[in-house]
Amino acid sequence: MKIALVTIFAGLVAATPLAAQDAADFPTKPMTYIIPFNAGGESDISARFQQSEWENVTGQQVVIQYQPGAGGAQAWSQLNSLPGDGYTIMGINLPHTVLQPLAGSVGYATEDLTPVHYFHYTPDAIFVKQDSQFQTLEDLVNYAKENPGLVTMAGSGSNSSNNLAAIRFNELAEVMTTYVPFSGTGPSITAVLGGSTMAGFNYATSGVAQGDALRMLAVASEERLPAFPDVPTFKELGYDIVGGAYRGVALPNSASEELRQRVSDIVAEINAAPAFVEKMEEAGFVLTDVTYDQMDEFVAARVEEYTAGAKALGIIE
Amino acid sequence: MEILGYLLDALTPFNLLLALVGVILGTVIGALPGLSATMAVAVLVPFTFTMDPAAGLIALGAIYTGAIYGGAYAAILVNTPGTPSAIATTFDGFPMAKRGDGGLAISLATIASVVGGVVGAVALLVLAPPLARVALAFGPTEYFWLAMFGLTLIAALSVGNTLKGLIGACIGLFLSMIGVAVVGGDVRYTMGMQRFLAGIDLTSAIIGLYCVPVILDLVATRDPHLKPSVTGGLRVAEGLRMSLARKLNVIRSSVIGTIIGILPGAGGSIAGLVSYSEARRSSRDPDSFGKGNPDGVIATEAANNATVGGGFIPTLVLGIPGTPPDAIILGALLVQGIKIGPTLFTTDGNIVYTFIWGLLIATLLMLPVGLLIGRYAYASIVKVPKAVLAPTVALLTIIGAFAIHSNVEDAQLMVGLGILAWILNRYGFQPSPIVLGLVLGSIAEQGFVQTWLIGNASGRLPEMFFNRPISIGIILAALITLAFPIWADWKARRRAQLDTAGEAVSDAGAEIPDEVKTRSIPSIIIAVIFVLIGIWIIMGARSMSMLGAVFPVTIAVALIALSLLLIGQQLRRPAGPAEGIVLDEGGKRRLALGAAMMGWVVLMPELGFLVTSLIAFALIMVIANYDRVPARTWAIWLISGAVICTGFWWLMANVLLLRMPAGIFF
Repeated sequence: MKIALVTIFAGLVAATPLAAQDAADFPTKPMTYIIPFNAGGESDISARFQQSEWENVTGQQVVIQYQPGAGGAQAWSQLNSLPGDGYTIMGINLPHTVLQPLAGSVGYATEDLTPVHYFHYTPDAIFVKQDSQFQTLEDLVNYAKENPGLVTMAGSGSNSSNNLAAIRFNELAEVMTTYVPFSGTGPSITAVLGGSTMAGFNYATSGVAQGDALRMLAVASEERLPAFPDVPTFKELGYDIVGGAYRGVALPNSASEELRQRVSDIVAEINAAPAFVEKMEEAGFVLTDVTYDQMDEFVAARVEEYTAGAKALGIIE
Repeated sequence: MEILGYLLDALTPFNLLLALVGVILGTVIGALPGLSATMAVAVLVPFTFTMDPAAGLIALGAIYTGAIYGGAYAAILVNTPGTPSAIATTFDGFPMAKRGDGGLAISLATIASVVGGVVGAVALLVLAPPLARVALAFGPTEYFWLAMFGLTLIAALSVGNTLKGLIGACIGLFLSMIGVAVVGGDVRYTMGMQRFLAGIDLTSAIIGLYCVPVILDLVATRDPHLKPSVTGGLRVAEGLRMSLARKLNVIRSSVIGTIIGILPGAGGSIAGLVSYSEARRSSRDPDSFGKGNPDGVIATEAANNATVGGGFIPTLVLGIPGTPPDAIILGALLVQGIKIGPTLFTTDGNIVYTFIWGLLIATLLMLPVGLLIGRYAYASIVKVPKAVLAPTVALLTIIGAFAIHSNVEDAQLMVGLGILAWILNRYGFQPSPIVLGLVLGSIAEQGFVQTWLIGNASGRLPEMFFNRPISIGIILAALITLAFPIWADWKARRRAQLDTAGEAVSDAGAEIPDEVKTRSIPSIIIAVIFVLIGIWIIMGARSMSMLGAVFPVTIAVALIALSLLLIGQQLRRPAGPAEGIVLDEGGKRRLALGAAMMGWVVLMPELGFLVTSLIAFALIMVIANYDRVPARTWAIWLISGAVICTGFWWLMANVLLLRMPAGIFF
């Protein structure tokens, strides 16, 4: 009887028409979007913003799932074992996917992953709480010069974009500050707000969420952010720090070139939707439009940059 | 009273319907170990995009609070917390169920959950902005001491067996360090295996440590799983009377739960443990805790449901989510274009207050819903024949461990840990200290290392650890919890002494001798293994950064010292009669079950989820069956087994959209 059941089921499975492989009318059914982190972080929120536009652009819904673990490495190491039919996509982050393989054996190499579109980044920024003695970045630098090591900076995790930026800031400003890693943006912002640390190296998005409770001293973007016209960039202040965490969408390496291009187009189209742009910029995200055809060049440049950073972090010799 | 006006907005038929459906769905999901509130909320978020924001929030909040409550069913009926929040519910809930008071335990859990939930929601309604400051007052140092406080519960949980309890805690703390370290970024103790990178998943570990031993014992005898209740039913009236008599415990636990809920990252499991510990400390009869004291169930369930309202306080006021479900709800609000933060309560007051009223209504709805579902769940667990119950519970453990990350490796780990836990438990190493270590380990470590970094930077390390007002309070509470069992013991002995002194005629011969403890060779062997593990931990720490190495080395030193003490203690005892390992009928069935479950999870990726489940289900039926059963009954059992397996498979693949292992079949 069991064999009969198996045969019937196998027959049913075989009879199901394969999902249309034609990239032109992709997608024809709901898609799954795996976020390699817990809910509530920047990756989740930006994906939720995309989700609310997804159906308008593709005619299909997208379902968001969380697969946190090992700072994202758990999910990325499984990316290429997922079906390459394009219906399962995964969030991908820089510098994580460069720094993690440099730091140790995490089950994937940077070049194993296939990002098809990097759609935004969140610039690093230095925050202090409202009643802090530091009004400007200069105040903080002067204080840190007089009291080496005394300035503590909360940030999201070790070997993260925040950590890289903090090290680079120490180098360029010729100061010694102490970087204190926390398990994500939430706890590290709590530490800044609660006065556990004197300042924080976080993402600019936190400035929007916290309003007046936090003061942003400088932001690591090329130009001032629309949401913070009064906050200077590090560049303006004489420190060459531009960077943050880039977030994009990746496919398993078994996905065809056409599908990669198609998913890249979908993300690009959402990136151009006015409602999406408005929500993202209001929340402090900086939109980028790194499409699939520019990907190799973009990733190569970042790898070079972060490898230098990894040396400064002491991850590699 | 502007706030009261929003009550009417929450009372629309649509909102009431959402609250009701949400609570039912949440309770059922929470009752199934591994299927979590996070998962349910995540899947349902897109549906709320098109709803009115307050209505969407009510639906999500109702699911969340229902799921936290539902976790109690599995804890009481099969000794497995349905959600980690219900860990401490197992301590007394399951013993109550075993002795025939399962229905009563469910009634108590329901009443306590409703009261706890109401207290949390009322705090959210009237006191949210000022209470949010509590979240900010807790720095790394306070989290470190809170974790230490949680660990002191071990002293109470393992009275008379403290050494083994402490060793268990060290093992749990060690397990919590496996994987990539948040602080320092080292890859620790993965033995080069990909599966350990993300660490030991807490939920699958809990399922394995608590539930697998229960199934192993279930098949070993022909006794029913739970003693049938004499009076039957849920005994709601009795439950109400008991709760009223324990109103102090209910209120205290609800307040503790609300406050701990406000702390981001602490969550329901710690709230439950702390209030359990407090209930035990203030009880007149602390020794009956862990043996089926109703106060234990009340304390945990009141506290964990209070964390729901408490957790929304930092989420809504500060934009810092208290728990993962809070985080998803936060994302849903942002998509709706609602700005979270200090101004939310004034700019979007109508949405926030309508939602909070909705949450309160949903909490109250838990009473009828819970008693109805509880009645059905209890009756079916008691009535279902063992041959169907055992494989169903086994299936649920495997589904639960698998579903968290759609990962078979979690299920394999769950079964492995479960079998280990059964062996350790047999020689006096109970699972609860291990679980406590696992739950509290990362909080303790991060708090410790962050405090150390901050204290070192300012050159005020001792002040950082010992001279902060809240920290001092927590340290005192921890010391009292630690010292209390010793003091109670001393007092009892003194009273006994006074009693004997008062008696004029002392009959020295009638003294009750202490139970003669004999040397246990297996305990010594296990302790030696732990010493070796400790040495291996220290060796492994040598290649790590200083931040990543300090905690493992500390734990390893403690583990080695405690294990050596245990060996010394055992060697001083008189040798007992030689214990040969006798493989009786029960032992054989246990072995067969362990093998069946191992085979199930090992073959799953090769053969597919449904095929392995169907085969294993039938196999475990045979292992668990003690009676001669007519072919007709067998046919019914097999068909119901097939329906259960296929039903869950369909639910996971098509409703929760998990990626099911397909293998060569399906």
